[in-house]
Amino acid sequence: MNVTLIIGTAKGGFVCRADASRQSWQVDGPLFKGWKVTSATRNAQGHWLVATASDVYGCAIQKSTDLKTWKQVENGPAYEKESGHKLTQVWKLATRADGVIFAGVSEAGLFRSDDHGDTWKPVNGLNQHATRAAWMPGAGGLCAHSILFDKNNPERIWVGISAVGVFRSDDDGTTWKPRNQGIPIILEDKQHPDIGFCVHALAQDPDDPNRIYRQDHLGMFRSRDGAESWERNETGLASRFGFPIVMDENTRAVYAVPLESDEYRLPVDGKLRVFRSADEGDSWSALTAGLPQQHAYAGVLRGAMAVDNLSPAGVYFGTTSGDVYVSNNGGDSWNALPVRLPRVGYVGAFTE
Amino acid sequence: MARVDVQLPSLITSVHDGPLRFALEAGSVAEAFETLRSEHPRLALHLFDEHGALRIHVLCFHNDRNTRWLDDPVNTPLADGDELLFMQAVTGG
Repeated sequence: MNVTLIIGTAKGGFVCRADASRQSWQVDGPLFKGWKVTSATRNAQGHWLVATASDVYGCAIQKSTDLKTWKQVENGPAYEKESGHKLTQVWKLATRADGVIFAGVSEAGLFRSDDHGDTWKPVNGLNQHATRAAWMPGAGGLCAHSILFDKNNPERIWVGISAVGVFRSDDDGTTWKPRNQGIPIILEDKQHPDIGFCVHALAQDPDDPNRIYRQDHLGMFRSRDGAESWERNETGLASRFGFPIVMDENTRAVYAVPLESDEYRLPVDGKLRVFRSADEGDSWSALTAGLPQQHAYAGVLRGAMAVDNLSPAGVYFGTTSGDVYVSNNGGDSWNALPVRLPRVGYVGAFTE
Repeated sequence: MARVDVQLPSLITSVHDGPLRFALEAGSVAEAFETLRSEHPRLALHLFDEHGALRIHVLCFHNDRNTRWLDDPVNTPLADGDELLFMQAVTGG
């Protein structure tokens, strides 16, 4: 078993490879030099899809069989002219067990491909939702950044949108309902009080897809009922605020990187600490071995953390100052890769 | 119909598998844009937004004239040897 990391930065993508020991890493890149690399997935054929973006030249999806030669998808996600919306970035690519690929984008919306990523169509049940006119952006823009599936119910999909909230569909994307009960509202709309929630990232229990972990702008939350309701689970965290949250499929440990408040958005006390919960979010403890514990003021963005689901788990994250940290023991200790990259916005871990 | 010289910014090399400089046949600036969209859709995605307009930070010069300033691109004729130069608008620091 080998591990491939795709590191997406503000100025290109980098590919890091290691064997199952994950002790020695080969770094290649940049892919798409000068372009933001914002997400990646593998389709059911085993081909790679990577999302690229430029503030000047727009965004696209690239396909590859070998991570070396790439072909831009010609009929990628695009809003219809009459929608009034424009595509600025693909925030999340996610492949469902049945091979359908979903893309969460900004301006916020969802697209799907039923042919392994060659052509895409809008999921208008969400993109034209009755509350759409009241959707407001967070600091990162109005973006659909998190997508979860239900392995026991292929018709069920969750999407997280900043700063709108979590939506769930139970009919394969035809209709959607906001699911944020228990979350404090951040942008109240008088007409649509069921939106205005700033979800930052979602993680899901592999054994129970209805158990979902949520790093929200206003705290850390957990749902045990498919997002019907949410409860706080913040005991032991250095701060309620943060962006990434990921879960290891084997141990069901949850990982997060709290930051000091939405006002500062810095590691608390200048210490770069990953927090791990081994008890389904009931309590959290800091992981610090190998991470800088003084003068560390680079944060970790929502997409910049991943788990490889090997045993023991490999846990990976990149920082806003371009450092990449790897752990091959579930976060007990960390090593920095010998790189200093541009701002890291995405980390994906793939095994083969 | 004129044969014009299209020049592209180098950042496009990452996504455009063709040359950065190539000839294109069109009778007007507007027709040249349409030809780019129809014959080079992967490239055009990065020059024009999904509604067909030049992306806000992309400039196109017809010889020495910014095409945004043309009164009537549809009726702005092209001549053999003309240049259509695409470049990134440089704003801010």
